[in-house]
Amino acid sequence: MGITEYGPYVINQMLEFAYRYMTTILEDAKIYSSHAKKSSVDADDVRLAIQCQTDQSFTSPPPRDFLLDIAWQKNQTPLPLIKLYSGPRLLPDRYCLTAPNYRLRSLQKKVSSTAGKITVPCLSVGAVSSRPSTPTLGTPSAQTVSVSAKVGAPVSLAGQRFTVQIPSSQPAGKSATPTTPTVQNVLINPSLIGPKNILITTNMVPPDAADSNPLKRKHEDDDDYDAL
Amino acid sequence: DRQTLVAVLQFLRRSNLRESEEILRREARLLGDDLGNVATVATSSPGVAAVAAVPPGKGEARGGCGVGPSSRREPRDVGSPCVPRSVGGSPLCWDTRVGVSAVVVEDQPDVSAVLSAYNQQGDPTLYEEYYSGLKHFIECSLDCHRAELSQLFYPLFVHMYLELVYNQHESEAKSFFERFHGDQECYYQDDLRVLSSLTKKEHMRGNETMLDFRTSKFVLRISRDSYQLLKRHLQEKQNNQIWNIVQEHLYIDIFDGMPRSKQQIDAMVGSLAGEAKREANKAKVFFGLLKEPEFDVPLDDEDEEGENEEGKPKKKKPKKDNVGSKSKKQDPNAPPQNRIPLPELKDSDKLDKVMNMKEAARRVRLGPECLPSICFYTFLNAYQGLTAVDITDDSSMIVGGFADSTVRVWSVTPKKLRSVKTAADLSLIDKESDDVLERIMDEKTASELKILYGHSGPVYGTSFSPDRNYLLSCSEDGTVRLWSLQTFTCLVGYKGHNYPVWDTQFSPYGYYFVSGGHDRVARLWATDHYQPLRIFAGHLADVTCTRFHPNSNYIATGSADRTIRLWDVLNGNCVRIFTGHKGPIHSLAFSPNGRFLATGATDGRVLLWDIGHGLMVGELKGHTDTIYALRFSRDGEILASGSMDNTVRLWDAVKAFEDLETDDFTTATGHINLPENSQDLLLGTYMTKSTPVVHLHFTRRNLLLAAGAYSSQ
Repeated sequence: MGITEYGPYVINQMLEFAYRYMTTILEDAKIYSSHAKKSSVDADDVRLAIQCQTDQSFTSPPPRDFLLDIAWQKNQTPLPLIKLYSGPRLLPDRYCLTAPNYRLRSLQKKVSSTAGKITVPCLSVGAVSSRPSTPTLGTPSAQTVSVSAKVGAPVSLAGQRFTVQIPSSQPAGKSATPTTPTVQNVLINPSLIGPKNILITTNMVPPDAADSNPLKRKHEDDDDYDAL
Repeated sequence: DRQTLVAVLQFLRRSNLRESEEILRREARLLGDDLGNVATVATSSPGVAAVAAVPPGKGEARGGCGVGPSSRREPRDVGSPCVPRSVGGSPLCWDTRVGVSAVVVEDQPDVSAVLSAYNQQGDPTLYEEYYSGLKHFIECSLDCHRAELSQLFYPLFVHMYLELVYNQHESEAKSFFERFHGDQECYYQDDLRVLSSLTKKEHMRGNETMLDFRTSKFVLRISRDSYQLLKRHLQEKQNNQIWNIVQEHLYIDIFDGMPRSKQQIDAMVGSLAGEAKREANKAKVFFGLLKEPEFDVPLDDEDEEGENEEGKPKKKKPKKDNVGSKSKKQDPNAPPQNRIPLPELKDSDKLDKVMNMKEAARRVRLGPECLPSICFYTFLNAYQGLTAVDITDDSSMIVGGFADSTVRVWSVTPKKLRSVKTAADLSLIDKESDDVLERIMDEKTASELKILYGHSGPVYGTSFSPDRNYLLSCSEDGTVRLWSLQTFTCLVGYKGHNYPVWDTQFSPYGYYFVSGGHDRVARLWATDHYQPLRIFAGHLADVTCTRFHPNSNYIATGSADRTIRLWDVLNGNCVRIFTGHKGPIHSLAFSPNGRFLATGATDGRVLLWDIGHGLMVGELKGHTDTIYALRFSRDGEILASGSMDNTVRLWDAVKAFEDLETDDFTTATGHINLPENSQDLLLGTYMTKSTPVVHLHFTRRNLLLAAGAYSSQ
């Protein structure tokens, strides 16, 4: 085939790929054949499985006639004139990545009660949507000054979306919701945070949980996740 | 598929197959009602190839095709009614003998509507006989014709092989390949290797390059005498099959004149689509430069530097006069100033131009006696991850794009990279002070290196904007990102290519940029439009290199199909096609006067092209590996080339382009006679210590900067 040199890992990688591909196809084919109530898997099932898999995983670029057609359409419109004196010529904000991708929520009246209490900021890690954008830290408000100091550490994880939210209360007995397993009073080492799908929420946790009424808490919970 | 449907309808109407057309239309109405709109696009399609009638005996229908009611299967009907069922499907759904690729573009000169039918040209087992018969004929022909007729071998071989594969005669295809692949020219060996792995029809499905090759016509340039000879031979009874194949898949561009020698032919062939038709290179190209705007050069407050020779201030004035006098006459080859909208000059741009002129006054005049000094920037510890490099025009910053998806910007001068202060700090400064532009910069975070994160794949191309405010980077993740060099953050991600983008470049005037990628098109964008302004489609394989012409009216794209195309920004037309390289093109450089183009590819040759006439004017042999960097010096006297063979070579550009007599004969027939003067033109070879050269840049004073990553093997 004309290959003169290869690294030692190439063979293993290719074997693994071949094995994975074959098993996926054959499993899909088995499913199709049982759906069609056939007694055994035959060539048509395999063909169908291959076709479905190629449409998903191995897309190929559009065909030439399609490209020529859209090119012809696109090239018909004349080049737009350039506005004079318009500063940096950039897209409207909604197409740019310049907007901050987090929202700061201010502490509610619990601020007054936190005086004199030990507040330990902690990081909780949860799942999320990934829209990579650079965090641009805006001016934090006075109450959240200490949070920004902690958030300074993960700035090096640029390119990940994170929300900074400071819910006013975190009662000890609150059960972890399925989407954000919160670990209270534990500082998670930023090095644990690897891939980009991470939502980092920092919670200011007063050790003695002031109990707000459940309704309010639920509202805050909803508010916490409406950014998702 | 809508297009194919409309094209088939057109064809049926033209062939007066009214019934089938009606039936097809009725079926098609089930699919979409906006067929009417598309029909306006599919207007007269010039050059529809004649579709041979399908022999009624062979009625094999594909299992997945879902053939409709039998009333539609009329033997007369050539446009197979499998069309409506193939929505969302691949060519596999077609009846095996009818592979339709309809291209409906009206006024593009090099694209025509093609309805090509894959008919079985005779018995598959006889293909070997046909081919060896032709081979025998050509080998017995006169010497002067033999070279030209030998051009037929490769395209015929490939098309016959693909036809056998497509019609599923696998064993015949294999034996055909075995027997004849050794006869082909050495520069086609890469293609043949790819072909040898294509043994089944399914293998061809995802391979867009092969599909394009099948449906496009391979262009051959043959003299009239040789052509007559060939035609006479093939039209004899027993060779009719080959004649059919020739007519179907090859386009023979006949010229009157002497047949070409093997050497001349070898210089020009090599691309995936044969050579370029002569009329493809006939359009007028405005290769001249745009006039520099006149403005007052602020006199000499800043000229109190160390060199206070009396000669200096006097030298300034004549320089200004030269600029003035040139602009009086309109260069006939230059585009009108407002041919394409260009951004106006801001004050900072004017200051930049003044600096440029000052530096130009101190520029070293290069020549064979005065070679540039070369300063090499080696990227250490890059672990083979350095994939793109760019340097600003004033040589103050260098950027590297890496395989770990980071983009790193370094400052080349002792001045550190500073970013603008945060909003909190900005509100504290005094906005009325004179040096407010200095005060907004944050000294505390100034550093020599800034790392930009954002891409999710290796960064294959980077480009600074001429005003040094923006940086572009394109990556395997299919996006092109615009970064601000004042805040060192990402501003925009331009999504359009959904496949790796191999190269990007800002226009010399800013605002526009071009990108080219795996989807075989190049796109022209503007920074304030989220969709491309122009799409340049036509290449058969990935677009690997994209460059703007100095007057920003044209874009050159080099591709893995081994051709270079020159596109007009105004209307997206392809105005030039240059063939001759034997491998994918990886570097392009326009000469500063805009007249010539230098290209480098994996075959280790640098080819020089005259844009105005559309001809190859020089060939520089010497490198032994892919050439990734090409750059002309500031006044165009020296061409520097950097390659994977760890060398930088300097070539005498003045001598290469002088006394070019492109007389009428050459331009009419396209004959070229390249002098074997690579050795004379080579001014110097400079070896690096196992560091392939990835980028070259001449500073404004003609110092050559080079960049590459140290690789320890």
